[in-house]
Amino acid sequence: MLGYIVRRVLATIPVMAIVALFVFSLLYIAPGDPAVVIAGDQASLEDIERIRQGLGLDRPFVVRFAEWSLQVARGDLGKSMFTGLPVTELIAQRLEPTLSLMVVTLLLAIVVAVPIGVVAAWRAGGWLDRGFMAFAVAGFSVPVFVVGYLLAYVFALELDWLPVQGYTPISRGLWPWLENLILPAIALGFVYIALIARITRATMLEVLSQDYIRTARAKGLGENAILFLHALKNAAVPIVTVIGIGVALLIGGAVVTESVFAIPGLGRLTIDAIVRRDYPVIQGIVLMFSFIYVLVNLVVDLIYTVLDPRIRY
Amino acid sequence: MDRRTVIKGIGAAGALAATGRLSAPAIAQGAKVLKFVPQANLANFDPVWGTQYVVRNASQLVWETLYGLNNKLEPQRQMAAGEEVSSDGLTWTFKLRDGLKFHDGEPVRANDVVASIGRWSNRDAMGLMLKAIQKELVAVDDKTFKWVLAKPYPKMLYALGKVGTPCCFIMPERIAKTDPFKQIEEYIGSGPMKFARADWKPGALAAFEKSNDYVPRSEPANWWSGGRVVNFDRIEWVIMPDPATASAALQSGEIDWWETPLTDLVPVLKRNRNIKVEIADPLGNIGSFRLNHLHPPFNNVKVRRAVQMALSQEDYMRAVVGSDTALWSTLGSVFTPGTATFSDAGGEVLTGPRSVDGAKKLLAEAGYSGQPVTCLVAQDQAPLKAMGEVTADLLKKIGMTVDFVATDWGTVGQRRASKNPPGQGGWGMFHTWHAGADAANPAGHIACRAGGEKGPAWFGWPDDPNVEKGVAEWFDAKSPEEEKAAMTAVNKASMESVTWLPTGFYKSFQAWRSNLQGISDGPLPWFWGPKKV
Repeated sequence: MLGYIVRRVLATIPVMAIVALFVFSLLYIAPGDPAVVIAGDQASLEDIERIRQGLGLDRPFVVRFAEWSLQVARGDLGKSMFTGLPVTELIAQRLEPTLSLMVVTLLLAIVVAVPIGVVAAWRAGGWLDRGFMAFAVAGFSVPVFVVGYLLAYVFALELDWLPVQGYTPISRGLWPWLENLILPAIALGFVYIALIARITRATMLEVLSQDYIRTARAKGLGENAILFLHALKNAAVPIVTVIGIGVALLIGGAVVTESVFAIPGLGRLTIDAIVRRDYPVIQGIVLMFSFIYVLVNLVVDLIYTVLDPRIRY
Repeated sequence: MDRRTVIKGIGAAGALAATGRLSAPAIAQGAKVLKFVPQANLANFDPVWGTQYVVRNASQLVWETLYGLNNKLEPQRQMAAGEEVSSDGLTWTFKLRDGLKFHDGEPVRANDVVASIGRWSNRDAMGLMLKAIQKELVAVDDKTFKWVLAKPYPKMLYALGKVGTPCCFIMPERIAKTDPFKQIEEYIGSGPMKFARADWKPGALAAFEKSNDYVPRSEPANWWSGGRVVNFDRIEWVIMPDPATASAALQSGEIDWWETPLTDLVPVLKRNRNIKVEIADPLGNIGSFRLNHLHPPFNNVKVRRAVQMALSQEDYMRAVVGSDTALWSTLGSVFTPGTATFSDAGGEVLTGPRSVDGAKKLLAEAGYSGQPVTCLVAQDQAPLKAMGEVTADLLKKIGMTVDFVATDWGTVGQRRASKNPPGQGGWGMFHTWHAGADAANPAGHIACRAGGEKGPAWFGWPDDPNVEKGVAEWFDAKSPEEEKAAMTAVNKASMESVTWLPTGFYKSFQAWRSNLQGISDGPLPWFWGPKKV
């Protein structure tokens, strides 16, 4: 197992290299010029050129890519063209809010969606099943920002239960931290809950029709034990797979959610960097998200071995 | 006790159980804090290297200028205690006022000023003019510096005190020696607030803390002049890119002041008795339809006049600002209305009756044969998107072929610098807007220049010697009457040769909690005066 983990971690290196080359090339051919944005409206073409030189943007693609790759290999993601701050510092500033949002959303989604899916499968075709699945369809259909605005209007503005916006670090206490995350996590988790609930229901339906479930019922085992101990455990592999894949969904959704709730996370940093063509920041964030995604997939693969002893690497 | 307090109480108990301690306050208990939502993110903090308005607005808290404009756009002494100019107008001698101290404890010396002027004059249009005629700029002693010129420059004090970017902020000599095309890395000023570098999270938060060493001038504050008395221990700039979030945060009391509320959200804010909404800047903005004079079809003045003849500023303003006519007006001038030297001479070609048929006839006379007009329209800037759609409709109405390039502002910013033909990466027209404070006169209004390809001229590169002659007369003018005469000449010539097309004059709102008093209007938010009651 340890050998497998080491091999998988080492395999991330070529993946990251390909991602790096792809992102760098994409930004190189994309229109827009950070020097123009920095120089402002009053600048002459000569001013813009001097700023471009100062940023090193006048050099050939290969030189720039080689230099950046060497920097990355040393663990240095470079400096933001606009703030002058190291990209690692900018990412570090924003990592906690985004990770907090993703973790709370993930937990919320699993806690809500899995029971919904199990109960819907258990009562397949009944009103409870139809009600849950109608909720799932709504979850897929309503955009994150609409849910976000509605939640903020009702629970923050009208009821005054929770804050409209912002983020409080967990170092300032659990409740202040959680208070700012409840509404964004519900907004972001809506589609995720729908996804997991539907896949749980579908998988559970298949498992509940298996012979060993009938046997369990025949020997008088209680319904809860059948559903949550026998059926759910056997249905868990596809559910875990979807949860893993859904992390990409969360990353994309976090961009919108962070804007709606003014959470100073990586999503907003990404948008700001793209709008300004802040290449080092964009490259750094994409690399980091790629790394996280690869790691999540590794964790999912390892969880398979826990859920299904037949799986061995 | 409301429900939120109850929830907080329950949550606090949970927090104690979980973390074993109470939450740490971000700032000292009882500190007076102002939470302000600025127009944009403070992405960099060098007012010479980065010329965005938001950088200037933040910089005014940390750095000072030698002079500052009042609400009549007259330069008043700020860091300067006095100035003397020789009878031939060639030698200026400036004295610094007492009590000026940088945030690192060092006094402000004439050497700091000389270095700061040197850096600024490499990037600013007026600075470059001064540099071109400069014979000597030296510190005479710690509090005195002398500027010797090869020819008189009557707009000296205006140049040193203008609000148009980049402003001549004074920094310590070691920082001011930084290459003007590279960003500074230390943020030490002599203004009323210190920059809290450790708290700066670009895109999220910028914070400023009161400088106890700051000695304000004794005169009452008047825009960028007078005593800068800040009534807060800390000012936090909370960056909120989403207007709906900012609106909700203002309504719930999570922020105190919002610089640029979206016009669509203003009715909601006005209905809230805890919020005040007023015009932010009497100098407003001028919408701009920028034409490329280098290539067909707009290299032909008859084609430009055809568009001018049919262009309805009312259509543009309704699309950009809405139906509230208190917020906008038509404008037959390239300059900001309402100032002492304003002129709209010749502007009836824009504000008089509109004629689509006349435009079609003129296009036919010009020999226009359907060449596409490449319209660069930034979709990520609401006013520009709105103007672009009106323009596409206008050009089609008068029989022109439109190549509508829907893109983002970053791409427009890059492509508008291209002098290539439209089909080879160039362009035919784009929209932007000019801040009224910049467009009040030719000083910082590069868009009004018409020096052609070799300059000075802005994107589109109009070439009209009459415009340039008027601008030169304005710079040489010694009285408001002479300035007005020069601006009249500039405007007449601009309208005649259609250097560019103003699409109207419009203002915007600012909003704040009603417990915040003392907020005044102006081209930028003034933090001296407001206090919480």
